[in-house]
Amino acid sequence: MLLDFALPAHDRKIIPEGRLSGPMPWIIAIMLFLTSLVAAAGLTLAQAAQQGGQDLSRQITVQIIEADPTQRAASRAAVVRNLRKFKGVISVDPVTDSDVRQLLEPVLGADILNGDIPIPALIDVRFDTPPTPATLGRLRNVLGPVAPDIRLDPHSNWMAPFYQLMNMLLLLAGAMFLLLLVATCAVVVLAVRSTLNTHRATIEIMHLMGGTDVQAARLFQRRVALDALLGGCVGFGAAAITIVTLDKGFVAAQPGLLSGDALSVSGWVILALIPLAVTALAMLMARFTVISALKKML
Amino acid sequence: MVLTLVPDPRNSLCPVMPFVPFISVMQSVVEFDNVGLRYGTGAETLTDLTFTLYAGSFYFMTGASGAGKTSLLKLLYLAHRPSRGTIRMFGHDAVTLPRNLLPGFRRRIGVVFQDFRLVPHLSAFDNIALPMRIAGMSERELRGPVTDMLVSIGLNERSDARPAMLSGGEQQRVAIARAVIGRPEILIADEPTGNVDPDMARRLLQLFAALNKLGTTVVVATHDLHLLKEVEGAQIMQLDKGRLSDPTGSLRHPPKPLILNN
Repeated sequence: MLLDFALPAHDRKIIPEGRLSGPMPWIIAIMLFLTSLVAAAGLTLAQAAQQGGQDLSRQITVQIIEADPTQRAASRAAVVRNLRKFKGVISVDPVTDSDVRQLLEPVLGADILNGDIPIPALIDVRFDTPPTPATLGRLRNVLGPVAPDIRLDPHSNWMAPFYQLMNMLLLLAGAMFLLLLVATCAVVVLAVRSTLNTHRATIEIMHLMGGTDVQAARLFQRRVALDALLGGCVGFGAAAITIVTLDKGFVAAQPGLLSGDALSVSGWVILALIPLAVTALAMLMARFTVISALKKML
Repeated sequence: MVLTLVPDPRNSLCPVMPFVPFISVMQSVVEFDNVGLRYGTGAETLTDLTFTLYAGSFYFMTGASGAGKTSLLKLLYLAHRPSRGTIRMFGHDAVTLPRNLLPGFRRRIGVVFQDFRLVPHLSAFDNIALPMRIAGMSERELRGPVTDMLVSIGLNERSDARPAMLSGGEQQRVAIARAVIGRPEILIADEPTGNVDPDMARRLLQLFAALNKLGTTVVVATHDLHLLKEVEGAQIMQLDKGRLSDPTGSLRHPPKPLILNN
């Protein structure tokens, strides 16, 4: 079908190709701009969810709840030693008391923290694979004798609602992407029908001279493909500029929240393929529209 | 198919062979049998048409306005299917012919429309070349014949002109050239001389007659009764209120033997 794009120059004249003269390339540009933005958002979310999910699901925080600071320090040292020996643990990072205070200060206030409130000791633990409830049970059994008041907080627990939300956003992005594609197809169908009506006399003449439906469809396919490609390139270009600008804006506003390359290379490749895919889809839609319309003629 | 014995005019055109009145088979190209046509639920526009057109024959179709000439021509160039009856064309049933086979049959028919139906944004050259391009001929193959055709209709200087820049007569010549360029087996012309002066009308008929001598079956619908005398041996199909009369007897079954002029 894509070979139909390469029509001889004289055949192209049968249906005039007014480059960017009609509204269709511009409508497709707008649709592609929105589609690319939605796709970029979806890809970034998916990437972040995948990376974050992988990291966080392998981490747990061990809390040692002990009011006596001396006993707490001793328990922490013993727990750290046991954790380092535990199978599957790849890193153990005790959080310093000052870091914990810094963490709690915005919530509890400096005055309360400076009082007699006992602060738990925290230890960040990273496993090679996400720990199962059985692994956590074994770990609790190992650590129980050295620190009876211990709590294990798998990060996946408190991140679950967040990832649920991310998954919903991903689904939403996917649905919007599909809806935009459907709308683009609808635009193509309407444009082809309109062009077909404009050039009905020419197509009838072609038919009466022995032209086939496929020959007529090729003329429209090429015209629609050019419009879609031009509109697609404009839409993608505008979307790319927007994404890069937004990415830089996010990085400047919140360093560390997003890296400078929020969209990976593969993400950019996928985005760049969208105009081509839409062009192919538009050609296909044009072909089906023309052939189904011509079938009503003898 | 009805077989009739006739002298073959091609024999006298061959310079190396002595004239021998040799016998060829006269073959039907179109056979209508009890054909009727109605548009929608209205009365029949064409009623009980039964006739045969033979290869290499020349037919004038006459009749008053509204007699059904254009409707009959539409059946002949496969733009419509009849409401009833059977049509055989080139030995095949054209009524039940699958739609995907129609283009192949249509390429064997040249049509000159009453309103020309030239493609408005194509030049005279491109309009004439259109049937050849549709048939898949390359640019190299079609350039010569199209240029020759433009010369023969006197429009070689205006080959780049679009229809809007041509006079009615010039448009008609382009339409005729487009119909005959592919050497169709049947040439159907609806009032082909309506917009040209008498001299050009005579020249166009000479062109049709020349094609007819090369074996093309020609059907010309016309109001102009003077034209009927211009082509020797031409048969007349007269339509009256959708029914066909047969003043020359050529459409009978079996037909009157037809002697072709050399």
